[in-house]
Amino acid sequence: MASALRAAILGHLRVPVLANGSNLLTPLWIHRTTSVRSMSSHDDHLEKSQVIDRILDIVKSFPKVDPSKVTSEVHFQKDLGLDSLDNVEIIMAIEEEFKLEIPDKEADKIDSCALAIEYVYNHPLAS
Amino acid sequence: MLLHAHTPSASYFQEGKMATAVPPPSRKEILSLFRSFLRSTRTFSDYNIREYTKRRAIDAFHHNKTLSNPSSVSAAFSDGKYQLHVAKRQALVYSIYSPTVKSIMDINY
Repeated sequence: MASALRAAILGHLRVPVLANGSNLLTPLWIHRTTSVRSMSSHDDHLEKSQVIDRILDIVKSFPKVDPSKVTSEVHFQKDLGLDSLDNVEIIMAIEEEFKLEIPDKEADKIDSCALAIEYVYNHPLAS
Repeated sequence: MLLHAHTPSASYFQEGKMATAVPPPSRKEILSLFRSFLRSTRTFSDYNIREYTKRRAIDAFHHNKTLSNPSSVSAAFSDGKYQLHVAKRQALVYSIYSPTVKSIMDINY
């Protein structure tokens, strides 16, 4: 009974088709009239201000850190008084936020907010 | 020629002595172990055990941070490696018998 009702409802629903030129739905001859970057795979690259905001939020919400001292130039161990274990934790949190996998060699070099922002911004898979 | 015949056994004894003086783990190895711990906690399906393992790993590493005696550092490091294997095994077991209802802290709104 419920499944028949559901099928009936679904048969009557009409979802509006999005007309913003998604890659699969636009036929090829429309390509020239829509925006130049509609087929570009680089569209979902993050804005630098977004990256900065998200990374600063992560550092500020770290329990051992005083949020008022956090700027984008701050050094984790020298300015915020953290140690290398806290450094690893912060980089882990950044990995989870941006859905990245940072290899050990690169992660050891990330010592400050500025380096973290630069690394994430330049990483092609950051989201 | 006789000396040559003795040296293999002498060097065997030397190797036996050298093997006990294993160098303590370097800073990089310890940080790498810590990072492996944190990565392994991501695979837990249950919020509670995931947070506990993370907290426990962080506390244990901080507690042992101040050790200076190389043999105790090595002992702590091998204990850490053993615990890492335990954590990985448990992550697998938890995923097999995971509860059907997720913890409310896992749901992102």
